[in-house]
Amino acid sequence: MSEAQVEQRRQSGAVLLVLVGLGIAFALIVALLAAAKAHTGPIYGEANMLYAALVLYTGAATLYMGYGVTGIERYVNTATALTALGFLANTAAVAHRWSVAGRPPFSNMYEMLLSFVWTLALLTLIAERAYKVKIIGSITMPITVVSVILMQLLPSDVRPLVPALQSTWLQVHVTLAMLSYAACAVSFALAIMFLVQDGMKSEAFQALTSTGTIAIYAAMLFTRFRGGALAVTAYDLEGKAEVMASRGHPLFVNIPDLGWLYVLVLIAAMVPLALYIAGQIQKAPALFDTASKAMFLSIVVQVLGLAIFVARVKNGEYAAPGVDGFYRTAMPANPFLLAGMVGGIVAGLLYLLLLWRREGLQKMLPPADVLDRVTYKIIGIAFPLLTLMIAAGAYWANQAWGSYWSWDPKETWAAITWLVYAGYLHTRITRGWKGRRAAWFAILGFGVVIFTFFGVTYLLPGLHAYAAG
Amino acid sequence: MGSKSYWNKLYDTLSSVKTGVFLIIVVGVFSAIGTVILQRPTSEPEDLKRNYSPETLLWLDRLGLTDIFHSWWFLVLLVLFCVCLIFVSLDRWPNAWKAYAKPVRFATAPFRVGLPFTAKFPVGDGEDALGTAEKVLSQSGYAPEKVSQASENGLFAERQKFSVFAVYIVHLSLLLIFAGYIVDGIVGYRGNIQVPEGQARNVIELRDNKGGNSKKTLPFSIRCDAAGMDAYADGSPKKWWSKLALLEDGREVVSKTIIVNDPLTYKGIRIYQASMGQSGTLISMKLAATPVAGGEPELVTIGMGQSVKLQDGESLSILRWVPDAYVQDDQVFQRSDEFQNFAFQLGLTAANGETKSLWMFPIQQNSTKGQKAAYEFAVTEEPKMAQYTGLEVSHQPGQFGVWAGVVVMAFGLIIAFYTQHTRVWAVIIESGSGKQLWVGGTTNKNRDRFQAKFEKIKAELAKELGTNAPAAEA
Repeated sequence: MSEAQVEQRRQSGAVLLVLVGLGIAFALIVALLAAAKAHTGPIYGEANMLYAALVLYTGAATLYMGYGVTGIERYVNTATALTALGFLANTAAVAHRWSVAGRPPFSNMYEMLLSFVWTLALLTLIAERAYKVKIIGSITMPITVVSVILMQLLPSDVRPLVPALQSTWLQVHVTLAMLSYAACAVSFALAIMFLVQDGMKSEAFQALTSTGTIAIYAAMLFTRFRGGALAVTAYDLEGKAEVMASRGHPLFVNIPDLGWLYVLVLIAAMVPLALYIAGQIQKAPALFDTASKAMFLSIVVQVLGLAIFVARVKNGEYAAPGVDGFYRTAMPANPFLLAGMVGGIVAGLLYLLLLWRREGLQKMLPPADVLDRVTYKIIGIAFPLLTLMIAAGAYWANQAWGSYWSWDPKETWAAITWLVYAGYLHTRITRGWKGRRAAWFAILGFGVVIFTFFGVTYLLPGLHAYAAG
Repeated sequence: MGSKSYWNKLYDTLSSVKTGVFLIIVVGVFSAIGTVILQRPTSEPEDLKRNYSPETLLWLDRLGLTDIFHSWWFLVLLVLFCVCLIFVSLDRWPNAWKAYAKPVRFATAPFRVGLPFTAKFPVGDGEDALGTAEKVLSQSGYAPEKVSQASENGLFAERQKFSVFAVYIVHLSLLLIFAGYIVDGIVGYRGNIQVPEGQARNVIELRDNKGGNSKKTLPFSIRCDAAGMDAYADGSPKKWWSKLALLEDGREVVSKTIIVNDPLTYKGIRIYQASMGQSGTLISMKLAATPVAGGEPELVTIGMGQSVKLQDGESLSILRWVPDAYVQDDQVFQRSDEFQNFAFQLGLTAANGETKSLWMFPIQQNSTKGQKAAYEFAVTEEPKMAQYTGLEVSHQPGQFGVWAGVVVMAFGLIIAFYTQHTRVWAVIIESGSGKQLWVGGTTNKNRDRFQAKFEKIKAELAKELGTNAPAAEA
């Protein structure tokens, strides 16, 4: 087979794959929205505006990815317009909530995501304008879409602030957190693009993606596997609240056999990585092709896992160990299981996009050294914000609890995040670390940010528990 | 000789960036471990017992892994890191100071070769060309000075030279923060105290790291005049408040109504609203007294230490009050200080002086039926208990070091990221073919921005000197 034929086969395969991917993504969104809340209230109200933003962001994300696939300039212009419109709707949602609550929307996970999405969309528009990184939306916009879907599932009623949260310093703290985390997200996207442009091998991306997916499902099984069943939070559908076993401890119910299903999903996610490692050791590039196929299979298995999860959560009552009776559960009670699953699928789709459209993508991206420098600049913005965020948080804690530093997990992980980015800057400034090493550092940094933002709240205990909403 | 090399080795180790990086990675790894393993100060002892087997727990305790952040070795790591930071900074200080105080003013031929940005222009008159260069550089925001060496003349200018100190300022700020934290670890304390309404207290229970409960007497006492909770319409708490007065030698020195997020500070000791609840102390309760002989029940309100006359002339008093009672061997004992399974002993004194005592356990049986007395008693409503306010008391003199450190760090980071030390030189070079104006420049960071600026200077020079393009670059 000649080179051109291979290329052509890849091209048509690419279109097919992307269509399948987009179809799956669309089906997912529809399926998930069926579980979402009813949208009532005024037409300009928060729920409707957020829904509009979701639709527009989804359109933008699809078009950005479509641009990535086809390289048609028209797509990206439309995508930018959709992002801008979505941003307006998002702004309206923020404003409406602010006016209803009479305070900035920073008090629970839902409100924080609302602000995070707003910042991320804004930064995407800025990065496109100022740095001409048009493709960045294909990474950041899917993040906004996943976040908005997640928000549809989180309790969103405007609750009065508990006394500890009534502080200006809290608002300063959370605003800075959102700004710096969004800047970290952008630097992550840029670092990934740098690696693409720098000629990192596709199979290395495949290894990176599989590692992320494995981490997601391993974390899920580590915390929720109960002898074959999957533990989920019980949910009171009438009261629209989690069922609490005791104060601060939600009641977990076991969905039988679902744990085993996720063991299967985990194994499926491990196969591509295993093939990659085998390919590296045996120096057999043929295995990398097999790994890509295994990756596709893994995505299909993940989608199946998600579908079965949705079906079983929506239908049925489950026993809770040690407690009499059966309880229902609901999607809103398990937002982070969902976020993990959807995140894994999106990452897989992005990898497929890269695999099949590498050359086209490289033509569209700015040169590697520009991406490298812009990453550095963005981290140069994120780091002072991160510093001030930690300081404002410490000051607030000192006002509220009498201690500016108590080593609770959120604080500790914020400090670790700070250290990682400090490491990035140090190695860059004093050691001249640039390019690939710096990009890996930026990726590591964002991984820690994700863990600090989600992982600590849902995996580790701590004082920040009320952020769970 | 041997000891000198030993010290040298130690100094070399501690003044190496590698050591610093290693130490901070170790600190980071142990911090991360400390968020995964339950820590004694922040977890209930039962949680630890539930999550770890006894042997595991024993080993975790022995290794200090259940209280990493207060263990001596974690503190040693932090101190070592500080020492390393100091040594690294000292080691590099002379060079930075030299660059700041005694910059290379004249660009000699070997120096010129090493510069990243250079250009040459053919010129007729050296003095004129230097004048033009001076003008162009001034327009670009530099203040050039004339320099010369041997027979060569030139210019030198620099901007934002304090930028070289950014790294020292940031390191200093870290030291301030760590120093503040360490000071607090040594002389600071935190504890809590419960003050019932209307009473004064001065002994706090220290929150030490071993889970023990040592006490500390404050140099003043805290009196709680009132305390309460304001609620939102839906009943969720809006505000917890306590009206406090501080007494020194029996004299009121300061008073304030504190709320969450707004503590009271006196002599460096801060008092925070932490919790609120019912104390075990009774204020008053309402009883229905029904004559056994028949008749309408009589309602009486009675408090501790009060004696109430009933209609028949008998007087009623509370002999004992137990907020949380249990019975063993026919004796009543107090289980806790909380208002839970409360019990009390009533004294009923007849006109002839004879006193009968009656025990009552209202949670089990709200009646004294069967106890031989002229009346049967029942509690008619929830007894009114004294509120107590739970206060957190902390003394952290080191926090000012921490805040100062934060401010200095913000300042340092701004300098580090948003200023750059740029230097430019110009020299008139005599060569065989004639005179040339050589210009060169360098920056300590943000190369792109300086490059753009240097290009602009080059273009201006070309325009002013009347040459279309600079001569071949050096």
